[in-house]
Amino acid sequence: MLNVNNVQIVYDNVIEAVRDASLSVDEGQIVTLLGSNGAGKSTILKGISGVLYPEEGNIIGGTITLNGESLIGRKPDEIVRSGVVMVPEGRQLFEPLTVEENLMMGGITRSRSGATEALENVFDIFPRVKEKRSTIAGYLSGGEQQMVAIGRALMSSPRLLMLDEPSLGLAPQIIAEIFAAVSDLSKQKNVSVLLVEQNAELALSIASYAYIIENGRVVMDGPPDKLMDNEDVKEFYLGFSESGHRRNMRDVKHYKRRKRWLS
Amino acid sequence: MDYFILLTVSGIAIGVIYGLIGMGYALIFKATSVVNFAHGEIMMLISYMAFSIASSWTLPFWGLLLVCVFISAIVGLVIERVFIRPMLGQDVFSTVMVTIGLAVMIRAVVVLIWGADPLLLPTDIGDSGVEFGMVFLYTSQLYAIGLLAFCVLGMWVFLRFSRMGVAMRATAARETTALLMGINVTHVYAIAWAIAAVIAGISGVLLGTIYGLGPDLWTQGLRAFPAVILGGLDSVFGAAISGILIGVLENLSEGYIGQGLKEISGFLVILVVLMIRPYGLFGTPEIERV
Repeated sequence: MLNVNNVQIVYDNVIEAVRDASLSVDEGQIVTLLGSNGAGKSTILKGISGVLYPEEGNIIGGTITLNGESLIGRKPDEIVRSGVVMVPEGRQLFEPLTVEENLMMGGITRSRSGATEALENVFDIFPRVKEKRSTIAGYLSGGEQQMVAIGRALMSSPRLLMLDEPSLGLAPQIIAEIFAAVSDLSKQKNVSVLLVEQNAELALSIASYAYIIENGRVVMDGPPDKLMDNEDVKEFYLGFSESGHRRNMRDVKHYKRRKRWLS
Repeated sequence: MDYFILLTVSGIAIGVIYGLIGMGYALIFKATSVVNFAHGEIMMLISYMAFSIASSWTLPFWGLLLVCVFISAIVGLVIERVFIRPMLGQDVFSTVMVTIGLAVMIRAVVVLIWGADPLLLPTDIGDSGVEFGMVFLYTSQLYAIGLLAFCVLGMWVFLRFSRMGVAMRATAARETTALLMGINVTHVYAIAWAIAAVIAGISGVLLGTIYGLGPDLWTQGLRAFPAVILGGLDSVFGAAISGILIGVLENLSEGYIGQGLKEISGFLVILVVLMIRPYGLFGTPEIERV
């Protein structure tokens, strides 16, 4: 459904954030992008959503297509209309607005009646949000804010939902609740999910395919079980050492392993 | 006491116009984070246009106002499209500089077309008025009070209940997220400019009717500026209320302390306000969970 092919993204015309990134997401599939800080994961999502330009970012190569149609150069609202929506990192709610107003803004691309209908759907998925509908969004707890942020994105009835680090700064119980909701969404409503996460274990547990990104490149990809078997992934992303117990950091030759991926 | 009431009432009469002008500043700042230094000039431009219309056709006051509302919406849209939109994505400061340039341009254009002599805006309400006890108010001043109330109510309904109004508040809160949700931000900006210009137009017609026209009419925009700071730059309603406060304060300070204080009393107040409440009386401090 979504195909990202050899995309290269630069900021300010000089800083290369992403190079030769290729990935694809199929209908109803949960795909995860893993990688450390600054690897370029969020930049890829922003590139797909068409919101690089406020940060002086530019896609200078490659293609991004949704069902064969190019998304590059289209306006953010057209991209939302075509069924691709993103939940930004750190929730980014409209703090001074009420929860309901926040949600209604997620449905701005739809008709008023369509948005009202979508509102009921969101309340079904996150009953807790319904209780808080007239609260000022800025005063919600982190977990509730994340639910509103996801709900707001769902208001546009997306076919592809992109989540940028939904687990950031949340309690494990809330994370489990949110991940369960996302998982249900893809199973029951056939919504595709592109999930960016730092918590690799969690992401691999619900994804059906994963990409690992380093320094703006896809260095490894495969189904979760294949990645989880990989020694490097185990060590760098899941925190296990080969023998299963702690190692002396002096023995770890990080640079050699990373180099192998990059060459 | 009589003197006090007299000063207060006439202060309110001028204050409502400051309030109207201030609402325009606040709306543009709220939606686009730009202080529009050409706001007073846009107001002057429209009041001169109103003069041309009123001298070509004999229109009743409300008819004239309606035509001017229409024209000012177009003026607002054109200014946004031609001068402001190309600045999108640039530093806010650059856009503010553009508005200053625009202000100077409009001042020159107005003198070029209409000349520098003071003019009277001919309307059918003229010098009529109503006497309340010992206070006399012109009909136009009463209209000004009514129109401010109307604009405040209209803006409240717009920002609270219409989708465009909520989208405007959302864009003001977080622009990038607004883009991500599919809000057409350029559209929001254009509408904000159009509405601000309409409010400027209304205040321009009122000023022209009450005080007449002159090439220095734009200074009223500057005089209204303390109201916006006092209310909080991003509070449309705060600007309306503070406009009245500043108007009354100006009058009282002149009446009781002395001539010349009228011009500066508003600015003295904002000095104090900025020290105590930097976000103004009604502005939003950052919402933060503790």
